[in-house]
Amino acid sequence: MIKLLLIGIKDLKLMFRDRAALVFMLLAPFLLTIGMGFVTGRFSGGSSGLSDIPVVIVNLDKQDLGNALEDLFNSADLADMMEPLDSHNVDPEAARHLIDNDKASAAIIIPEGFTESIIPADGAMLDPNYVQPEPVKIEVYANPSSPTSAGVVKAIVDEFISRVEEGRTSGMTSIVGLMTSGLVNPQDMASEAKASFQNVDQVESTALKLKTNQEGADAVDFDMLSYFAPGMALMFLMYTVSYGGRSILAERAQGTLPRLMISPTQTFQVLGGKVLGIFFMGVAQVGILILASTIFFQVKWGDALGVTVLILAAVFGASGWGMLITSLARTPAQVGSTGSAIMLIFGIMGGSFINLESFPPFMQTISKITPNAWGLDGFTTLALGGTLKNLAEPITALLVMGAVLFAIAVVIFNRNGLVQK
Amino acid sequence: MKKIFAIAWKDAIIRFASKSELIFFIILPVVFTFLLAGGTPSGDDDNRIRLLVVDEAQTPISQQILAELENSTAVRSEVASRDEAQKQFDDRRASAVFIIPTGIDIASLQNASAEVELLQQPNNINATIAERAVQTAIRRVSSAISAAQSAVKQREAKQAFASEVDKQAYFESSLKLAQSIQEDAPERVTVVEGLTEDEVDYDPRSNSSAGQLITWVFIPLFGISALFAYERQQGTLRRLLTTPSRKATFLLGTISGQVVMALIQMLLLVGFGILVMKLNWGREPLALFVLLLCSALAAAAFGTTMGTFIKTEGQASGLSVMFGMVFAMMGGCWYPLELFPPAVQNAVKILPTTWAMQGMLDLGLRGGGLIDILPEAGVLLGFAVIFFSVGVMRFRFE
Repeated sequence: MIKLLLIGIKDLKLMFRDRAALVFMLLAPFLLTIGMGFVTGRFSGGSSGLSDIPVVIVNLDKQDLGNALEDLFNSADLADMMEPLDSHNVDPEAARHLIDNDKASAAIIIPEGFTESIIPADGAMLDPNYVQPEPVKIEVYANPSSPTSAGVVKAIVDEFISRVEEGRTSGMTSIVGLMTSGLVNPQDMASEAKASFQNVDQVESTALKLKTNQEGADAVDFDMLSYFAPGMALMFLMYTVSYGGRSILAERAQGTLPRLMISPTQTFQVLGGKVLGIFFMGVAQVGILILASTIFFQVKWGDALGVTVLILAAVFGASGWGMLITSLARTPAQVGSTGSAIMLIFGIMGGSFINLESFPPFMQTISKITPNAWGLDGFTTLALGGTLKNLAEPITALLVMGAVLFAIAVVIFNRNGLVQK
Repeated sequence: MKKIFAIAWKDAIIRFASKSELIFFIILPVVFTFLLAGGTPSGDDDNRIRLLVVDEAQTPISQQILAELENSTAVRSEVASRDEAQKQFDDRRASAVFIIPTGIDIASLQNASAEVELLQQPNNINATIAERAVQTAIRRVSSAISAAQSAVKQREAKQAFASEVDKQAYFESSLKLAQSIQEDAPERVTVVEGLTEDEVDYDPRSNSSAGQLITWVFIPLFGISALFAYERQQGTLRRLLTTPSRKATFLLGTISGQVVMALIQMLLLVGFGILVMKLNWGREPLALFVLLLCSALAAAAFGTTMGTFIKTEGQASGLSVMFGMVFAMMGGCWYPLELFPPAVQNAVKILPTTWAMQGMLDLGLRGGGLIDILPEAGVLLGFAVIFFSVGVMRFRFE
């Protein structure tokens, strides 16, 4: 056991002396985590990276509803999300030109007569020749290179229109009902109609309430960095385990492995020590990254025992892959390049870059071969308030993965005579 | 010229001596492009967000809500039992679950005691979009009820109903009227894609394709630093001192060879985009070539400068991958720059990846041509001039 530990610790020391490897194992995932923090709005206090979306509003309507929509985009509620550009003396063409030149995410063009197409003008309903005007459409001119921001702008406009429609339906239902009941004098009709359509954009139905789990006492405050920080750590963990595996072949090439074999050390002790070294490297790497995320970004990881066990299991699973790659390679360079390729493939398949939900179901199934997917599943469970007992599935999967891959690697090592004395 | 070609050819042989280089040269970029573009499907697929719906009420009102959800442009509803939906939600295989509990009927809506429930995965943009879609659907259903209730109140304010039966009849006729007004409501918002109407079919996958192209081409160009370090470590740079080759010849041979290889790689990826993913990269071939060339020169110049600071091949390999990935992410190649805070959006203008990506978006998404990408091409050439100057000045054979 002491020999195992000595060999493992020796490899760990060698890793910490290799500055180039350290940069890649620790600095790269750390910098990418910072980038993810920006994207997700983690450092700007938002629930997404979106803030201060530049929008141009051209209000040609200049009446109640047009003004209400303009006020909405300038309101305090949307102050963080929206940044309406100064659009005085900006005509629709100029607004579109601003979007085409990438100066804003979207332009909202409220045409003349928009209000009148929804709220009849004074006395209009009394006019026997009154004809409902053609619907006038608000134009959302979207910047194709800012699809998310433009989508948010459109959603806000849709929400506004939805309220307006609700108010219009309510007003018209009341007025028509009173008219058919003969309870409105013709002379009172105009004022009744006006009253019914007042604040048409502020009507809020209360007949059916929507309760969400994002509010109230049961709401979970989920930190996106507790997903992306381990995501990046797990991705670069694949590099680390292949780096460790590379050292086995390097030792053989340099002649130090045969020397170890003729010392009074059993084969399993030598290989076991090397594997232990890889395991130590992985644990050190993920541990340091998690510690750094805690110190620098105040990421809350959840149950400490769960985090510890999950790290050990994830490193074990990844080490299995590292050993398999090593057993199949002939040279250290092959291990390095294959390891880097596997790192990137597992990174994207395992959800380190984008949420697995974006993938079709078969891809989600295939992702289960990666330690990244299981590890991220576990870290997310912990971040959502889970504990060690909720991690049975990912931990079991990682341990089985590691054990199976180690077994296959040992068979291949024996067949290739890697550890012959 | 012969010397330059010989040096470039030698580098190509060294680079592709290992077959695994092909993985990074073409296989991984294609896989990444395909997978990431798969995350943003084209208009041919139903790319609406999946929303699990549990209908325990089974009433006309719940059916109306489901019908409204069917019309949603944002979500694709899928009915499931509560247990199945809860399991999928717990396994994080569903972004959101919408539950219509028993007892949701007209009566419960009339006395304002009706409540439906939405389970959302935390900080999940799909769940947020699903919430908006659900809000819209229930608003449409409940607003007709609210309108009818309001009509009853106003009628009652004018004149009391003779009986509860009359009141209910008035409510029901008002509800029908409100529903018909809703159904006849015209579209009041139209969305126009900037500068792409009738010119370019807007395809969000262009974003993924452009981003991956830049990422995977910049990394090996930054890796020019590894070439220099390798030659220094091998001692072959020192041997060059004894030949009648000038520093400029060596640098020109090494850099031009890598730039040509980068252009070949770019053209392969562009070809993949055009032929397999049906993207519109071939619309302005001259503009595309100019932009790709300027991007490659900027990246190669950065790699050259790196090569004068880095001592070992191992350091160079790690740093070129690290810089490549970080520059790509911060330059908007992985996630749209619009997601970054405004200050960061301005700060990342110091990166060549930002300008390369901007130029690609001008071509692929905004329908731009040669004139439109000249500013980006100019900035990229500026990067190239600055970094080549630093690199050439600092270059040492030993």
